[in-house]
Amino acid sequence: MKNKIIKWIDHRFPLTSFIKHELTGYPTPRNLSYWWNFGFLAGIVLMLQVLTGLFLAMHYKPDAAIAFDSIQHIMRDVNYGWLLRFMHSTGASAFFLVIYIHMARTLYYGSYRAPRELMWWTGQGLLLLLMATAFMGYLLPWGQMSFWGATVITNLFRATPFIGDQVVVWLRGDYAVGDDTLTRFFALHYLFPFLIIGAVVVHLVALHTVRSSNPSGINLADKDNIPFHPYYTSKDFFGMGVFLIAYFIVVFFFPHSLIESANNIPANPMVTPDHIVPEWYFLPFYAILRSVPNMVGGVVAMGLSVMIFAFMPFLDRSRIPGGGRYRPVYRMLFFIFMLDILVLGYVGYVPPTSQTIAIGQVATIYYFCSFLLLPLISKAEDKWLFKRGLPPKILALIASEEEEKRKRR
Amino acid sequence: MNRFIATLALCCAAFPASASENKLENFQVDTSVVAVERGVDTFMNACHGCHSLKYVHYRDLASLGIDKDRIAAWRGDSTLDSAMTSLISDEAAIQSFGIVPPDLSMMVRAREGGNSYIYSYLVGYYLTQDGKTGNHFYPITKMPDALGISSATDPAKRSELQGKAHDIVSFLSWAADPHEAERKALGYYVIGYLIILTVLLYNVKLQVWSRLKV
Amino acid sequence: MAEYDELDDTGRRNFLLRATSVVGVAGAGAACLPFVASMNPSAELLAKANTEVDLSGIPEDGMRTVAWQGKPVFILHRTKEEIKAMAATNGGLDPEQDKDRVKQPEWLVVIGVCTHMGCVPNREGPGWTCHCHGSQYDDSGRVLRGPAPKNLEVPPYRFIAAGKIMIGEA
Repeated sequence: MKNKIIKWIDHRFPLTSFIKHELTGYPTPRNLSYWWNFGFLAGIVLMLQVLTGLFLAMHYKPDAAIAFDSIQHIMRDVNYGWLLRFMHSTGASAFFLVIYIHMARTLYYGSYRAPRELMWWTGQGLLLLLMATAFMGYLLPWGQMSFWGATVITNLFRATPFIGDQVVVWLRGDYAVGDDTLTRFFALHYLFPFLIIGAVVVHLVALHTVRSSNPSGINLADKDNIPFHPYYTSKDFFGMGVFLIAYFIVVFFFPHSLIESANNIPANPMVTPDHIVPEWYFLPFYAILRSVPNMVGGVVAMGLSVMIFAFMPFLDRSRIPGGGRYRPVYRMLFFIFMLDILVLGYVGYVPPTSQTIAIGQVATIYYFCSFLLLPLISKAEDKWLFKRGLPPKILALIASEEEEKRKRR
Repeated sequence: MNRFIATLALCCAAFPASASENKLENFQVDTSVVAVERGVDTFMNACHGCHSLKYVHYRDLASLGIDKDRIAAWRGDSTLDSAMTSLISDEAAIQSFGIVPPDLSMMVRAREGGNSYIYSYLVGYYLTQDGKTGNHFYPITKMPDALGISSATDPAKRSELQGKAHDIVSFLSWAADPHEAERKALGYYVIGYLIILTVLLYNVKLQVWSRLKV
Repeated sequence: MAEYDELDDTGRRNFLLRATSVVGVAGAGAACLPFVASMNPSAELLAKANTEVDLSGIPEDGMRTVAWQGKPVFILHRTKEEIKAMAATNGGLDPEQDKDRVKQPEWLVVIGVCTHMGCVPNREGPGWTCHCHGSQYDDSGRVLRGPAPKNLEVPPYRFIAAGKIMIGEA
């Protein structure tokens, strides 16, 4: 009976062939490590956020006078409202953690290189959408940190040349962050995740065109691919199990650790908290913003610090595939870059002193140098590595890539 | 990879220390219903005159298991459904103290140091040389010494007042997160279930991958 | 692609896979419960399930409308003549004795929602008339003329003191 229904559908819609081609039978390299689980995990967190967000929206009131009260109502009176709220607040952090690890994997293994540039750029777009969604979502509880964080960040748009002041007022819908800002941020916060879902589809279409990279950096022979199902479905579900354990430990036992204490105080436009701090996932960028003494300069630096990732396919001039796998200098740069981000995060968190500002400035310069000096460094390293000698497979791949480039010209 | 973890650990250790010169008491909240009930009683006597708990309703106390008659005595003319608002009006408060006493529904969460801070603050009043009261933990406070601990020299009396402060904070801790006990209980079941499921999923993965011809 | 043993999906699936599926589906099902539960009335609404009403302000032949669970409730203070008139009949389309609809005969407590499509009938003495489609009710809330099919519903209530009722608890 089931087969008859499926046959009926297949006549009219490529259901079975799509599933076979893109899901179950989709050829995937057999050597993917657990670092390749994080794309799937990001999808899971997206679904969790949309689901919990939807049910929260059934009770939340996007009106400045009662928004904070509605959160208390959810936490205290709505059945399992506390669970929905903690899942959503923890989920936001989980989303960024998963995405940052996903990005780190891509950077380390050089998965952004040709022909996967569009994957990297759709990913970049997804990161921007996610950051915007998180920023707007953070205003919704209408706590002190929500209000003042939104005030500081919307203020940055004053850096826009000529029309800066008008842009800020236009964004806020008022001269200061207020009820109008809250209501429109709610509308947009509800919308953006669906834009994210659309962008994920584009990201996956790109993926299926160029196929997954793998830790070896070399395009595997056809015989070394395995069908996505059951190998990677089983591996992804296991990874999801591990993730959910960590996620729910935080949700059930440490949910307050991710909520700034100041955000338990209703927003007060007359009183600024001692210490305005964004959520952890924005800290490095916030540190970069504060490192530049000039306001416009700071905004430009912060924007650049997010966008500069997009240039990686052009900045990395090495012909050697596999990212850090066969390139010791690149590998070291990668780890120092990770350390640099942690330093920036710390600088972003602590109240600024002359020492921390200095450290932040050094870290910011290093951050940009990691990217801007990469063309030079990658070329120099290539020279050294070719002289030293590379595995024959790598040389073969490089040779075939050169051949292809020559043919295309 | 190991370098990554080491640097992460290093950064976690570098947290900014508490700014107050006085060390916060290490406070262990008593989550039992009896402690919370004592806390409500003390609160209604010592704090309710000025402080409100606008997000806590008298019926929430009933849900916790406190006897309805006791609640009736506390709420007086207010109904069971109403919130635990204070007896003083905003204008009268500003006249007396220069400030509206803050709502305490979320106070243990709204201050760095949480329960420990609130407790330390309550027992941190002392008498200055000119007979006024000061507070070690929030020197610019406009709140008077509600428990009277600054003038309690007798160790037994001090101990009794510390006990009262302890009860108040236990109550406020419950008030800020009434579902904490339920949350943790459910958490054990959920994590337990997920561990079982993940072990099963791991074995499925092993089994599937074992079929792969090398 | 590499050779691999196809998962046998036409017949026997091994025990491990079966067990995992059962555990997984059970968990997924249980996980739906908090979401569904969150849509049920929240604690403060369940609290408002009961409404206390002081009857002392209502004069004879007077009616007051109070809110209970978001619905209007008509409280009619009936005169002796009205009580007699109601006792004399069984109503109209939905026969019922007046004494079965009241706890104390001078107090009629009915939900003021027409049993046809849900409009609130107007007090048009004696009884009520629903202006939406013309249904008529008597001073016992019984339907005399349709299209309403049933008498006005009597909510659960009880006298908690002389002249005081609690709607919501029988």
